Parts: sequence; structure tokens; C-alpha cells
Amino acid sequence: MKTLIALLCLCASAPAVSPTVLLPGKSPLVTFRFVFLTGSASDPADKPGLANLTCEMLSLSGTKQMTYKQVVDALFPMAVSIESYTDKQMMTFTAETHVDNLEKFYTLFNAMLLEPGWREEDVRRVKDDQINALKITLRGNNDEELAKEELYNLLYAGHPFGHANLGTVSSLEKLTLDDVKAFYKAQLTKGNLIIGLAGGYPADFPARIEKDFSALPKAAPSAAVLPTPPSIEGNSLTIIRKDTRSVAYSLGFSLDVNRGDPDFAALLLMQSYFGQHRESGGRLYQRMRELRGLNYGDYAYIEYFPNGMFSFEPSPNLARHQQIFQIWIRPVEVPTAAFGLKLAMFELDKLVKEGISEEEFQHTRSFIGKQVNLLTKTKSAELGYAIDSEFYGMGNYNANIKKALMSLTRDRVNAAIRRHLRSDNLRIVAVAKDADGLKEKLLSGTATPMTYNSPKVAAVMTEDKAVESWNLRIKEAAIVPVDQVFQ
Amino acid sequence: MAVSKEGTSNMTRTLILLLATVASLPGAGAPKKVFPYAYKQEDLANGLRLVTIPTDYPNLVSLFIVVQTGSRNEVEPGKSGFAHLFEHLMFRGTKQTPPEKYQSVIRIAGAAQNAYTTDDYTAYHTTFSKEDLPQILSLEADRFQHLDYSQDVFKTETLAVLGEYNKNSANPTSKLLETTRARAFQEHTYRHTTMGFLKDIQDFPNEYDYSRQFFDRYYKPEYTTIVVAGDVDPKQVRAMVDKDWSGWKRGSYKAPISAEPPQEGPRTGEVKWPTQTLPWVIVAYRAPAFSDTQNDSAALDALAYLAFSQSSDLYQKLVIQEQKVDAFGVQNGDHVDPYLFGISARLRNVADMDAVNQAVLATVKQFSDTTVDADKLERVKENLRYRFALGLNNSEAIAGTVARFVALKRTPETINRVYDLYASLTPADIQRVAKQYLTERNRTTITLTGPAAVSK
Repeated sequence: MKTLIALLCLCASAPAVSPTVLLPGKSPLVTFRFVFLTGSASDPADKPGLANLTCEMLSLSGTKQMTYKQVVDALFPMAVSIESYTDKQMMTFTAETHVDNLEKFYTLFNAMLLEPGWREEDVRRVKDDQINALKITLRGNNDEELAKEELYNLLYAGHPFGHANLGTVSSLEKLTLDDVKAFYKAQLTKGNLIIGLAGGYPADFPARIEKDFSALPKAAPSAAVLPTPPSIEGNSLTIIRKDTRSVAYSLGFSLDVNRGDPDFAALLLMQSYFGQHRESGGRLYQRMRELRGLNYGDYAYIEYFPNGMFSFEPSPNLARHQQIFQIWIRPVEVPTAAFGLKLAMFELDKLVKEGISEEEFQHTRSFIGKQVNLLTKTKSAELGYAIDSEFYGMGNYNANIKKALMSLTRDRVNAAIRRHLRSDNLRIVAVAKDADGLKEKLLSGTATPMTYNSPKVAAVMTEDKAVESWNLRIKEAAIVPVDQVFQ
Repeated sequence: MAVSKEGTSNMTRTLILLLATVASLPGAGAPKKVFPYAYKQEDLANGLRLVTIPTDYPNLVSLFIVVQTGSRNEVEPGKSGFAHLFEHLMFRGTKQTPPEKYQSVIRIAGAAQNAYTTDDYTAYHTTFSKEDLPQILSLEADRFQHLDYSQDVFKTETLAVLGEYNKNSANPTSKLLETTRARAFQEHTYRHTTMGFLKDIQDFPNEYDYSRQFFDRYYKPEYTTIVVAGDVDPKQVRAMVDKDWSGWKRGSYKAPISAEPPQEGPRTGEVKWPTQTLPWVIVAYRAPAFSDTQNDSAALDALAYLAFSQSSDLYQKLVIQEQKVDAFGVQNGDHVDPYLFGISARLRNVADMDAVNQAVLATVKQFSDTTVDADKLERVKENLRYRFALGLNNSEAIAGTVARFVALKRTPETINRVYDLYASLTPADIQRVAKQYLTERNRTTITLTGPAAVSK
């Protein structure tokens, strides 16, 4: 209910007028970040993947005047690339140019967004790439991301967030150029566009952009209505069967807190303590990788963080009114795979029951208070965070987080942990070759002891005894062949 | 950071955020040098080099410690992957600072820290608030001079590296690269990837003594350059480095890296991938080492853009028009020793394998037989200059860029030299390097296909 109210507030405060976020400076670089408040949550029910296809058709195709080859040729000497991505509630186009090339670049960027060429050969290529991103890249080449995306699909079954941003293979195969044109016309309007601009642009440049983009339809389309995500009774396990060396896991549950919520800072601190992304200081990393050598790393999240394999910092403009709590366990060797999952669940249970200590609270608060500055080290990221703050109806992200951290106490963090986290009623997704064998091990309740290549201290061995027999309390389990995922 | 909302103008509610940050990147009237920052380069008596780069990005400092040791230095058989394993071990503490204490200092400082290993070097990088620089430099000095880990900790860390191999192993391109190197090189250590062969990784737990030897050989001041970029004063940085790093003893080891004999004819290889994938082909040619005085490598960089980049005729044909290929790339990565110029393509349909291969070869022949249009070469030069300028958009990116070059030649000046080489390239240079290096004799072709290759 809380999230629905937040959504309504946003709509009420953003009628046909959308904000422009400006960061003028003397840098010879000019950064563009244009965000439409639409995304895959607005895909028609029978056309998952349409928002993403529309987005890619704008950034990777020709314009009315120019073929895609001509666009690429024109961009080449400027060394500019236009990055675009679609999430549930945002569609982002971003680029950075040297001010020497500002006029040439803007003319092109403007035409790509306002006068798309809509050529059949472009949609054929772009659609094929999108299908391959599902079939080959996600299913085939990256078990970690596969588990993570499928976790989202399952947690949001029957909900507008319940399909990957890329869509499904069967839907994409049917999408047509007319579908793309219709989505563009209905969803990419001036009313839901946030224009972000940074760097050494001329003073009158923002007004010019504003005027040019007024060519888009004025009104904002109605945003997707987000029902409460389905509840989960008991722990459930889905194993994706795939010929692979090791076992990757992703697990979690939907969370009733987003960046605009008073408990966000407390949970951000929890996330950092428990599993700061790609940093070695997190509890999961320390207990699973550093102490036991189970895998390459283990992390926790309270906001969507795709492509974690390749990025150290979260991308801005993946803002969502509903988020999940998620644990990412990087691939574990088959013989220790059951123990790995049990250890993560054991640590989650401990976190929920015991919370964090005063010392851990102080260290983590100090970490986030400074680390937050690193998130906006580029102008592009600074723009992105400012746009996200518009979405959540909060002020400057860095200032807000620092202020919220100052008023936090250990007790408030632990109360927030108890209020929002749990160690039961969650979904677990695994990717494994011997899916039946893994299922049997995880469901049987028998001990799955850890083995080491070197001696461990008594405290670890004692803890291992508790972990190896940890009751996973899995009520439901299913095995899915990989070629059925995202189909 | 100050946030102030300005008054509403017409239809637009405008937020003016931070105004104060000003970066002096190359613009009108900027210095001619492509690397626009005034930096200070100094050597300590023990051979350690310090490069300090004040930038205009406020408050933050980025520290890169570059050790000129990578998988190229793994000279003994059975020891592939050791430089990378060592990168992991560097986080296992000293007597004075056990790992928990190290972690706690990094954490309280809110520092973003990581490390990476390449063929030629290993880099340890940390970005943080400027007031923490003395403490972090001191902490790093301690681990570079006094690293100390037990046999047990060593064994545990080897498993984390195996975990890293596992997470990469789902991607067929890892195997493709591994096979290409193993076919293209017979003597030189570029024969193996930085990750190393799986059998060697699985044997790591038995190699504790060798790991100590590896540290004693390479973690020495004469192999190391410290790069500090950001809101810093070079004089103060020098004083900090003198205090903590001048007692580090110089070493004497030089790795006996075998030169690769000339290739005598084309080589091929095939990878059969067990799960569904699109087919791949790599066409790789033996290429010269990075140089900032001879223009062969620079000319091959330009050729890579002319012949195989997004704006090339071949890309347009294979990716955009015929749509036979959905991912197409070229690499002429800078290396200390002669390495490879590689073209890679992911095909939509395995039936096109021969056609794509022939199209690549025809393009290579065209660049050997004819001189390229001078205007096209000028567009590439423009792209290279702007690409470089656009990459320097924060202190961490600046330090990271400098790290790549000091790993090769131990000075940021090499950046300006190599961009001067780019600027002086002529169409004749492009044709000359195509003829000299992109020959049948120098070529290795590797294909990768799945069990029943996906075709549409």
C-alpha cells in the first residue's frame, strides 16, 4: 500500500510538466541523460519486451533522414556512443560529447529520439539481438545473471514487474514495427521525460532542448499500476537445469522499502554490513569466501543491480517503486554447493535475530557516509542520481543519505532489519547441471558437511556443524530446463 | 553538496545542482598534449617510482599501485595463473596489520578498493576522500613490504580463485581466448591467459613455497609505480611516500621470458562448446609490441578502426546489411612483448562461418593491396583524440588510464608520445603494417560451435 501511495504522489506532482536537471560547469565535456518515466512495467500484457525493443530501436537505428550506417559514420569521428537501457519504470538515453562536437552531436541525438527512421531492416536486426541476449547471453553465458533475473520473474509472477526487461523469446518473435511505433507514440511523451544535462554547454542550450522536445506529445501516459507483489508461503526452490561447472544461486523476497522510505538508510547500512557489492568487507563475503574459500564472492542488495559481474557501482536510473531483498551467491563447486546455500541462510537468520553490533554499526556508517561520494564521481552519474531523486521525490541523494545516517542508531537499524527482513518465506533460484541431485541434497534434511583443504579453527568447525544440518525448510521445489526460462 | 531550486521558467521546473566542479580537460586553448594534466614523476633511491597528478575534481583521491608483473612473468611450467593468485594473496595481511584490521581501515575510510591482473601487470587501486591518503599510503606500504600469510590461509584463497574460474567458465569466450593463445604461441608466456589453465589452478594449494618466491621476486620497488591522482599536492604526497616506502629493499630478479619464434604458417583450431551458443570465429595475427617510438603498433591501432570498427565497411556489411554477425570486434591490445591483433565475430548461423571468415580475409587483403583514403584516416585520428579526452572524466579514470601506460613504459609521457605517433600516421603506414603483419603465415584461426549450433 505504501508503494502505491508513493506512485500516486509522483503522478500528482508531475502533470504535463516534467523537470529538467542541469549541472552546468566549465568542463569541455557535455553529458546528456534523458530519462522517460516508462519501461517494461508498461509493456502490454501480451507483448513483454516491447519497451526495451522501442528503446533499442531509437538508439541503434537510423533516423528519417539517415540510415543507421550514416548515423554510425557521423558519430564515429566524435567518438561518442549513445548508451540506452530500459528498466521497469525508466527508459534511459545517455551520451557524452566533447563541446567541440556539441552542435553536430545534438542534431543527431535529437533526430534519433524525435524523428526515428522506423526501417524494417533495423527492427529485424535489433529484435534478433534482443532474442539472442535472452537465448545466448543470459541463458547460455552468465549463470549468475540468469539466477538473478529468474528470481525477479518468480517473485513478481502475475505482476507488471513479472518479466525480464528483455521480454520473452516467444513474445519478441511476434513483435512488429507497428507495435514499436505504437509504444513510442503512447509512452515516450514530453510529460514523462526528464532531461538531464551537465558540463560546458552554452547558457541557452537547455531552453533549445526544451523547445525541441516539446514536439513530443505533451501528456504523460498513466503509469503502470503496481499491485502488492504475491506473498510467499514457506521457502520455495527453483533449479534451472543447465550443463555448467558449478552452482550459482540467487535468493530473496519482495521488500516494502524503496529509496523514498524513512527506513531506507537503515537498510542501506544493513546491506553494506551484510554484503556490500564487490567489496571484501561484507559479512557474507568474509564468512563464505575469506574464511571458507567457498566461492568468488557473496553479496546482498536492497535495490535492483543488474550486470553485477561487470560493474562495481550501481547504475543510476533503475529506480523502482518496488524493490526486493536479494542475496547473490557466486558459483560454488558442486560438492560444497548445498553447504554454501545453508551458510547464506544461516547468516541471514543470524542477521535477522541478532542484528548488528555497535562497532559494526559505527564502521559501516562511516563507510557509507564517505563511499556515497564515490557514487557520483562522474557528471553522468551525478545527473542520474539527481533524476532518481526526482522519481522518488527526495532531495539530493548524497546529502539525504548523509543526513539520514547521522540520525541513525544501532537500535534503529536493528529494528528496521526486524521489520523488513526475514529468513523464511523466500524464493531460492539455483543454476545447476545435476538438478535432481542438488534438489535431493537440499530437501532431504541430511547433513551436507563442508570439506577443507586446510585446517580451520575450532569455532569455525563448531559453526559448520550447525550449518551442515541447517533446516532449509523448503516447501516447494521445481526443476526447469534452461530453454524454458524467458521463453 | 549544495542543492538549490531555481525559480520556474516557462513550462520547465529547473533544478540547478552543483555549480562548483570544474574540470580542465582539453578544450579550446588547451595544451597541445593529449594528456592535459601537469603531473610530477619522481624516483626514490630504491627504484620505486611515484607519479602524482593533481586534477580539478575535488575531495577525492585515486591511488593505483602498478606492479610490472602479470601472467607474462609466469615462466615455469605448471605455474600459470600465479600472478593473479598473488593479487588475491595481497589482501591476506601482515604481522602488523592482519586482514581484519586492514579491512576495517578501508571500511571506515569509505574507500572503493579492488585489484586486477593482466598479461603484463597487476594493479591495486583504491579511491577515497583526500584526508585518508596518509593512512592508506602507509597501509599499502606495509602490505607491499611485509606481506605475511599462513599455509592455511593460502590454501583457502586458492579456492576463491577456483571460484573465479568457475564464474567465468559459463562464457564460451573465455575458452575461445584460451585456445587462441595456446595455438598462436608456443614459447612465450602469452601462451596462457591471466586466469591460467584449470589444471594449474587446481594445483595451487600445493604451491605455498612458490608463492613466497613469487613475492620475493616481483614485489620489489623497481617493478612498482605509485600513481596518485585527484585533489592532492605532489610535495605532500612525496613526503608521505618517503616516510613509508623508502625502506623497501630493491631486488635483482629478472624473469627469463622466452621470445616467441616467428610463425611459419597459418594455424587453426576448433572448440566444441557443450551447451547452446552462437558460433564464434577469431582470426588473430602476430603483432608487434607496444611502442611509443616506432609507429607499427600505432598504425595497427588505426587499421583496426579503419577496417573492423563500427564505422568500417566490413562491419556495415556483416552486422548491419547482411546481418550474418551480431557481435563483431577487433583488438590490438598494448603489450610489453609482441602479442596478437585479433578480429572476432559471433555468427547468427553456423552456415555462414566460411563466408564470414573469407570476408575478414578479403578486407585484410584490401588493406594490404591499396592505400586507405586520407580523409578516412583523419576521421580515425579524430576519433582516437576525442575517445581519449572523453575517458578522462574523473580522478579514478585518470589514474586508471595512467596506470595502463606506466605498466608499459613507466611514464605518463608515453601517452603523449603515442598520440603524436597517431597524429603523424599516413595512408602508406597503414598499408605497410597490413602487408607486414596481417599475413597468412602470421595467422591463427579458431572457431567455436555448440552441440547443435543455433540457427534461425
